[in-house]
Amino acid sequence: MTVAAGLGYALIALGPALSIFVSVIAKKPFLVLTLLSSTLFWLVSLILLSGAWRAFLPIKSSALWTYVIVIVTSVSFQEGVRLVFWKLYKKLEEMLNAFADRTSKPRLFLTDKMQIGLAGGLGHGVAHAVFFCLSLLTPAFGGATYYVERCSHMPFFLISAIISLAFLLMHTFSMVIAFNGYAESRKSDQLFVPIIHMVAAIMTLINLAPGGCAIGVPLLCISAAVTLQYCWMMVCRRLREN
Amino acid sequence: MRRRRTPTAMDGSILDSLGQEIVGVMSPVSICMLLVVLLVSFLSPLPSSIDSPSSTPVTAATLVYLESPSDPPAKKLAGALLNAAVFVVLIAAVTFLLVILYYYNFTGFLKAYMRFSAFFVLASMGGSILFSLLRRFSLSLDAPSAILLLLNFSVIGVLSVFSPAVPIVVRQSYMVALAIIVAAWFTKLPEWTTWTVLLALAAYDLAAVLCPRGPLRILVDLASSRDEELPALVYEARPTASNHSVSSSPFPAASVELQPQYPVNFNPNANPNSEPRPNSSSNDSSSGPNQVDDSVVEIESLAEETFPLVSAATSISQMGSTQGDLISSAEQDDIFETSRGIRLGLGDFVFYSVLVGRAAMYDLMTVYACYLAIISGLGCTLILLSICRHALPALPISITLGVVFYFLTRLVMEPFVVGASTSLIMF
Repeated sequence: MTVAAGLGYALIALGPALSIFVSVIAKKPFLVLTLLSSTLFWLVSLILLSGAWRAFLPIKSSALWTYVIVIVTSVSFQEGVRLVFWKLYKKLEEMLNAFADRTSKPRLFLTDKMQIGLAGGLGHGVAHAVFFCLSLLTPAFGGATYYVERCSHMPFFLISAIISLAFLLMHTFSMVIAFNGYAESRKSDQLFVPIIHMVAAIMTLINLAPGGCAIGVPLLCISAAVTLQYCWMMVCRRLREN
Repeated sequence: MRRRRTPTAMDGSILDSLGQEIVGVMSPVSICMLLVVLLVSFLSPLPSSIDSPSSTPVTAATLVYLESPSDPPAKKLAGALLNAAVFVVLIAAVTFLLVILYYYNFTGFLKAYMRFSAFFVLASMGGSILFSLLRRFSLSLDAPSAILLLLNFSVIGVLSVFSPAVPIVVRQSYMVALAIIVAAWFTKLPEWTTWTVLLALAAYDLAAVLCPRGPLRILVDLASSRDEELPALVYEARPTASNHSVSSSPFPAASVELQPQYPVNFNPNANPNSEPRPNSSSNDSSSGPNQVDDSVVEIESLAEETFPLVSAATSISQMGSTQGDLISSAEQDDIFETSRGIRLGLGDFVFYSVLVGRAAMYDLMTVYACYLAIISGLGCTLILLSICRHALPALPISITLGVVFYFLTRLVMEPFVVGASTSLIMF
């Protein structure tokens, strides 16, 4: 509607990310580099996905199962990318520890590893927010607003900002959970992340029904809260054990 | 009784300072790109005026073919390739001229010319950007005050670029300002020409730095054999804990040192005083006490040096949104690292920002994709630098990745993502 509204929508989507960045990540240059590289990973995976689906676009049928296939393939691909990211991180951890031994400094602490996981997850979340929400926000800086037919309760920009916020939180903290799960080989952590991701993505399909976003969007926020709670409990447990 | 203290996170882990130099180079590049994107989005011409051919300036990059939107794609492509070839030839010629001048020790002339061109860029091109901004936002500033501010700005810019007494932050800001102004000007070129010129320059950079007969390589060898600094404009990312004295050589903006034995590792910012200089003649008055003991050689030549050569062919007029300036850029860009910090030529800044600015004319998604591609290319080049230890061209990897990501995003990713998010399906 105006510059203020546009900025407001952008901050709804990216506000928590900005505060995490300023308070935790900006202090350590290595975490900034981790964030940039994980954003790049997410972008490359998105480009590959779009390349695979390009021939089928635009999806004209309103049948639900096409969208389900799109979402299921996309989410599985992204979870696969997360696994690749974890493997690269293991190699990086070995190199960092070798470097630390060489310069006679302490090895990586548990909090360091969690911070790297946080930076990686934040990279994914920021990439999601930018590509799905911010890139469409440019008209919001102008003089009018835009409503989608299926969801005429709120302006389109506001809905996409709230969904991006939920997904950002989910991506950020599920990376911490996933890294921890792979490090400790706990099945519950390892399985929690793909399941919640899949559930959240399928819940966005509720938005396809007319008026469905009144149910879908709060459910997404609830799943983001569930991720946060799980991550909090896991981190408390790890830190207490240490 | 034995007491053993286990290290805690309070003692400081290696994560605290790792990668500081890389971030120190990436942040000015990011700031430059961000400001160019903002400038381009504020000052972009209205769609109705794009069709008029008078809005495209006649420059060294459009000498052969002036693109207009109504041409068929084949003609546009052929014309753009011709433009790019002419541009690269011009830049190569100017670089060779610079090498010859440097070989015959015309250092006073070079220095004066660099001062003049820095002043010209800041005052004239910066002034035109300032006036268009004033017009666009309808800010009230009268002409005498504007001219006074502009003149002061330019004079301090010239002083800060070449004098060692100015604080490093001021010098870095002026470097970034110079790059922003030149890049904002370059984005006025027509679209196909921009892409072909960028790719041609990346190829030229690769050849000029790595081939044994390339002009930039010859320049670096000359400068290092004379133990002098290069006549160039360079951004220098100083590490925060610097305790070196300032050098007083004739070209304090850049310096050339030979590479020492660094541990091939993440942190090239090792103990600066540990390695001795390979060349022992470091105390003559001409080159001054170079504070850096080690670095990779770096080359750069200044863009604005082409001014007097080609400005006779066009008229410099300034009316409204049209501008008849002739500018070509010969800023080659290589990186070398010193114990003061990594150095990046200003040409790198300019062409990265031109790519991102051109992406901004399409969409924000392409901007972000190109930004990530350029930053990752820069990171790769820096890692290669710590392995290879000699002058490396900074343009090829980043520009190639940037162009590839731009076209992939525009053609492949955007229909998918826009379709998904407007239906409120996200993952």
